[in-house]
Amino acid sequence: MTLQRRDQSDTIEIWDDVVRIRDLILAIIINSLTTLGGYFAAPDDPPMPLLFGLIGAVTGFILSSFIIKPKRTFEENESER
Amino acid sequence: MDLVLIAEMIGAAIAAAMIYTIIGIIPGTDETAVLVPVTLILVLAGVQPIIILCFFISAIIANNLMDAVPAAVAGIPGGVMTSPMVEHAQLLKKYGLAGQSLRKMAAGSLIGVLVSVPVSLLLASSLIPFAHLIQAYANPLFFIGAIVLALLSKNKALALASILPFALLIEGMRHLYWGVEAIPRGTTVFISFFLGITIGPVILTLFELLDKEKRESMIHAEPRTIVLKKDRFEWKWLNPFKIVNKREWVTSGVASLISCFTFILSPVGVTIFLGELFARRRKNPVERSSLAIVTMNALANATYISGTLIPLIALGIPLSPVAIGPAHALFDAPPVFTATRNMHHLLTTGDFIWATVIGAGIAIIMTYVITVKYAQSICAFVFKHIPHEAILGLFCGFVLLLAYMDAGWINIGGVLLIGLVAGMLHRWGVNYGILFMTLYAAPWLVGLFG
Repeated sequence: MTLQRRDQSDTIEIWDDVVRIRDLILAIIINSLTTLGGYFAAPDDPPMPLLFGLIGAVTGFILSSFIIKPKRTFEENESER
Repeated sequence: MDLVLIAEMIGAAIAAAMIYTIIGIIPGTDETAVLVPVTLILVLAGVQPIIILCFFISAIIANNLMDAVPAAVAGIPGGVMTSPMVEHAQLLKKYGLAGQSLRKMAAGSLIGVLVSVPVSLLLASSLIPFAHLIQAYANPLFFIGAIVLALLSKNKALALASILPFALLIEGMRHLYWGVEAIPRGTTVFISFFLGITIGPVILTLFELLDKEKRESMIHAEPRTIVLKKDRFEWKWLNPFKIVNKREWVTSGVASLISCFTFILSPVGVTIFLGELFARRRKNPVERSSLAIVTMNALANATYISGTLIPLIALGIPLSPVAIGPAHALFDAPPVFTATRNMHHLLTTGDFIWATVIGAGIAIIMTYVITVKYAQSICAFVFKHIPHEAILGLFCGFVLLLAYMDAGWINIGGVLLIGLVAGMLHRWGVNYGILFMTLYAAPWLVGLFG
């Protein structure tokens, strides 16, 4: 009960959707590391750093999508018509 | 035009339509922030300009239509351009017509493309004789553009008052970087400032989270509830003539035509203004909202296509909010594209027509079918599996990357500062178009005081 209450109590709305602050910080850290990591790991020959950086960004995005659960309640039903 | 090149262009258009189908559906994705980094990498990677243009045209059409999809099925905007549609989509959804409004959106998109592609190409070629005159006054024109957009916005006095201070901030940062030798004198930091403005509101909110009192006052939001109704697919929906009626065809066609001539104005502003103007006259709420949905989707495409093509073909300088925003990398992406050597100078009129027709044709066919047939399943997947945190994280990653690339570590702080100011101005009602025009006019404007 207390855990659930705390979960709910640190959600906020940014850019038209609801996020939990702790998850947001986690996602920012993951994405910053993968993006800049990709950039610095790339061979020093343009446009490789930018390309690796973008691949890193996408990797971070997929990673955080697996780790973090969306804060949306979702209902699906068949239409009668 | 050889077959290999055409095949490559078709490939690029298909790839763009697929990528931006997914990105478009994700709620809250700003058009500029999702289009610029990808276009930029293609330009810097040395992909042929004609293929990039084809990719870009396909991307904007797919992104615009898919942005509208979450509005139809869940009542939340997929991007900035769709916020005016939400209210109408909500009404149709309330009457159990979500499936129908999806199909009307797709048909509206189609109409927008059919009208704006030929009109933009014609309008661009008729502007070419005046190009030299316009180019000579480009810098003051950006400043005038900022003033005009400010006068058209809701908060006129505030918008006008913020132009000079914001220009000073931009130029101040550049001179600081030259002063501490973060970058060689004369190199202009642009793209990262630009992205900083785009995600300014997010940066501002993130800073506010660091303030304990503010944070506690912000905590209130409950998880968003999304209800999705599934429609069984019918083949006749693939025929656009069965989806929209004659009035909707004519109205959205005329609105698209008008919007090609107003390419210098903000696309979302024109979409709201013309969409509401034409729809308002219908008394029946369902009719009114359907008409608004068809027209606004047509306008979304028409404003983007004309705003990209006309400045690109006729001028070679990004003199429209779309060109200065989402299409920016086609004009200016150093060292590949510069003000004196970009797509405008490298492509022939024939190239422009081919790239546009192939890109637009493939994108509209693909996204039309996807929207009519699969939109609801894609939406369900995105809502269930893509957390909003991951999207925000992704943007933060982009900003860090482009900030570092532009001017090293110091620029990460610089972009945060610009984001903070831009975010605050944006929250107060100064729209992006004004801030972008100011970003462009800043060197000239500040130079006046030297």
